[in-house]
Amino acid sequence: MKRQVVIGLEIHLQLKTRSKLFCSCSTDYVGAIPNTNVCPICLAVPGTLPLLNELAVEQAVKLGLALHCNIQDQTRFYRKHYFYADLPKAYQVTQYDHPIAMGGYLDILVEGKEKRVHLDHLHLEEDAGKLVHQTADGRLSGASHSFVDYNRGGMPLSEIVSKPEINSSAEAVAYITQIRQLARYLKVSDGEMESGSLRVDVNVSLSKDDGSLGTRVEIKNINSLKSIERALEFEIARQNRILDEGEALIQETRLWDDAVGVTRSMRGKENANDYRYFLEMDLAPINADIEYVEKIRHTLTEMPWDKRNRIVEKYKISFEESLLLTEQKELADYFEDCVKNGASAARTSNWIRTEVLRVLRDQKIDISNFPIASKDLATLIKKIDKKEISNTLAKDVMSAMLEKNMGLDKALHDCGGDSGRVTGVNLQLVINKIIETEPEAAEVVRSGQDKKGAKIKYLQGLVMRETRGSADHQEVIDILKRTLE
Amino acid sequence: MSSVNFINLTAKEITDGIINKKWTAKEILSSFIGHIKKHDMFLNSIITLSEEQAIADATRVDAVIARGENPGLLAGVPFLVKDNICTEGIKTTCGSKMLQNWVPLYDSTAVKNMREAGAVLLGKTNMDEFAMGDTTETSFFGRTKNPRNISFIAGGSSGGSAAAVAAGFCPIALGTDTGGSIRQPSAFCGVHGMKPSYGQVSRYGVVGYASSLDQVGPITRSIEDMATVMDVLAKADTNDSTCDAFDRQSFSLLGKGKQELKGKKIAILSGYDKKLVDKQLLEAIDQTVKICIEEGADVFEVELPIALKYAVACYNIVAFSDASSKLACYDGMRYGYHEDGKNLSEMYKKSRSSGFGEEVRHRIIIGTAFLTQGYYEEYYIPATKVRQLIVEEFMNLYQKADVLISPVSPTLPNREGIIEELDAQSYLKTFFTCIANLAGIPALSLNVGFTPEGVPTNVQLCCPRYEDGTLLSIATIIEKNIGSPYVAELISDEGVN
Repeated sequence: MKRQVVIGLEIHLQLKTRSKLFCSCSTDYVGAIPNTNVCPICLAVPGTLPLLNELAVEQAVKLGLALHCNIQDQTRFYRKHYFYADLPKAYQVTQYDHPIAMGGYLDILVEGKEKRVHLDHLHLEEDAGKLVHQTADGRLSGASHSFVDYNRGGMPLSEIVSKPEINSSAEAVAYITQIRQLARYLKVSDGEMESGSLRVDVNVSLSKDDGSLGTRVEIKNINSLKSIERALEFEIARQNRILDEGEALIQETRLWDDAVGVTRSMRGKENANDYRYFLEMDLAPINADIEYVEKIRHTLTEMPWDKRNRIVEKYKISFEESLLLTEQKELADYFEDCVKNGASAARTSNWIRTEVLRVLRDQKIDISNFPIASKDLATLIKKIDKKEISNTLAKDVMSAMLEKNMGLDKALHDCGGDSGRVTGVNLQLVINKIIETEPEAAEVVRSGQDKKGAKIKYLQGLVMRETRGSADHQEVIDILKRTLE
Repeated sequence: MSSVNFINLTAKEITDGIINKKWTAKEILSSFIGHIKKHDMFLNSIITLSEEQAIADATRVDAVIARGENPGLLAGVPFLVKDNICTEGIKTTCGSKMLQNWVPLYDSTAVKNMREAGAVLLGKTNMDEFAMGDTTETSFFGRTKNPRNISFIAGGSSGGSAAAVAAGFCPIALGTDTGGSIRQPSAFCGVHGMKPSYGQVSRYGVVGYASSLDQVGPITRSIEDMATVMDVLAKADTNDSTCDAFDRQSFSLLGKGKQELKGKKIAILSGYDKKLVDKQLLEAIDQTVKICIEEGADVFEVELPIALKYAVACYNIVAFSDASSKLACYDGMRYGYHEDGKNLSEMYKKSRSSGFGEEVRHRIIIGTAFLTQGYYEEYYIPATKVRQLIVEEFMNLYQKADVLISPVSPTLPNREGIIEELDAQSYLKTFFTCIANLAGIPALSLNVGFTPEGVPTNVQLCCPRYEDGTLLSIATIIEKNIGSPYVAELISDEGVN
């Protein structure tokens, strides 16, 4: 009998606040000089007391509401004790058996199918500092000393704990991706695994032959979506192998070694920690009464899954297209702005998915930094819709706008795209082609023997024919003269 | 005016004299500094004397007076602060080797408020290590002697502050009280000491022992001064979220205005074994009751059966558990005593084993055990439930009473060294005071005179939470009938003062 894979995920999201969870230190610590974003409170200087950042509470409530959780009023913080150099108080302030948000669920998409994953809870807590193990000359191996940087200590985190209802690595990745998208939609977190603003601990077990739950193993230190997949595949195979051999698994925490591609047991005391959870009496209960929660609920904007479905309905585009357009809220907004400005939905969708996304990818920028305003792109697409310009010409216009930093009108003019006339560069291209096919007439003009101007008139006629009369007579003459001088 | 006269003055008299230009803050200061320098070598009540800072503060007060500006409620009044209350630029040792040389970079809110009111900080007083103890004998800096009689114990943990006020080193000192640490030494040294309601005074800058029990409070020789200090200290603080905004009464006005005990309902604590309480302390209660009856109060006896049975166990569990957590930050890394080790864990062990004294280590270990899986369910959880029952027992009591009168400690201070009491007596020693911390109510240890042998006697008054003003007005009336305690006559090598 095949064993069922059972996965539970704990996602830590670093909340996007300006100051830390319990003090006024800046949260802008990435790249900051070590131990500069610190103060007496986050360094646990004797006599200091924590002060709760209300924005962090608001963001946790926002996340909780979006995840259909029950928001709890008057919940408390607890102290989770352990001695380590990255934890100045020797306890982490976190929540315990009554967290701020209980229950809830998240619908995820795996291979086109929707699946509902229930949540256990969501809570607020502070982050720890960071240890750097390196030698005086900067080498990391063989270090005799460790350095500690408290800049990250006290950063606000929201931990989302799922029920063990995820049954494959693909589902795990889909779940994490959906949480990340939600966090970004709500603007409560950057959700970047690489920089550590989204971190995942994985609990995985294989159900026993009789269907009952197996021994659970926790995996830590996974820093990318790709690694989540690899770590899970490795761990599932490892557990299957051990069970196939008739041996028992140990309930433990294992660390993912990304370079080698294996999980390793965290030996020693770390596995037997008793955190001695204890009520944090230095902080008053968190106020989150109905009135407050409802006020926050009213600030919630459209959820990504709702936006995805609405765009399919409203604009009659495919679900796959909608999925791509709604990946980022700002991209979906850009799409809808274009359509609002009169561009056809189908063409706009195509343009964004191909042209716009390509530019964003190449330039490694975000849609919010895309230099072409939605109303300009809409104008361009409308021209294609009305067959005033060709698709190819429109792309040229966009390139001109991006590369030469031109406004729409100038780019259209230069590309010969204004009022459907062939002009400028485009006219030059046509003229070049005509000169190539008519070398004799061209030579007459070039050598100055076309006294009566018959040959140049002849060439002009050919150009006018080629452009179906949409070029300016005088501009054709001017360009011909310039080219053949 | 001679220095002897200055040291006998109350804070009120000092400030009035400064405002009326009878004397200057600097004159006052130099007289107190002289008195301290002459006598503290025998008492050991002060760990750090911050003379330079005090001169600067006094000079500033004199300048404010000269400019005709408002100098504050405590203009020019010298005060001392227990050494677990942070003072910017002045060592704050907590009576421990661990913080022997630690200098905070900030003033606690309590000290900041005092200084803003014009009070002049003289320095820091001795205490039991991290406020754990009731004799100052656990202090790394040696024990404080009782100025009433140097063979008596001064009590603790705020023994240095209480002794300093009794000795006339200052009319006001600040202490902290987790289970009686202001009230018991005040009783032993023959001065008044008050633990305000929990949440009435900011704990910001107070080195924590037990977050849900700790409060800062004043030690004085007059209730009027105490009310003035409460007026200065009792303010909501944005740096302490447990110091909530509340409708603050003006305590100093209450101390002066129309007060009477007529019709007040006064409960006398009963139900405990009176044989275990010193006869002279029971007489002090009787004497107080007599005054109350004469003033027209309605007096009756009450019992607190739940508190009597469980309060001390509950207190020990709550306090020690929190201490094990609050004192975990002293790991030898960022501040405080440090010893090298082969690795992180050994460094922690060495630094903490040598940096903390025996009593502190003892309480941390017991507290850690209380929070460990299994014991947590067996001890900590029941303790928090019992605490809630005690709170409710007090709420019921205050349905029918305005104030509760009880002993502070079952014993008098007239012996040296750690007291060898009966177990039951030792239980009561914590009981009378810790109930106020568990219930979060204001409690005042009121000196009611001295025995013929010169041993101070006292009673404890407890009011409902946030009724600190009522407590002070009741104390004012009793004090009016009895009189304020005098400054102790100190014996130095130059003979009697």
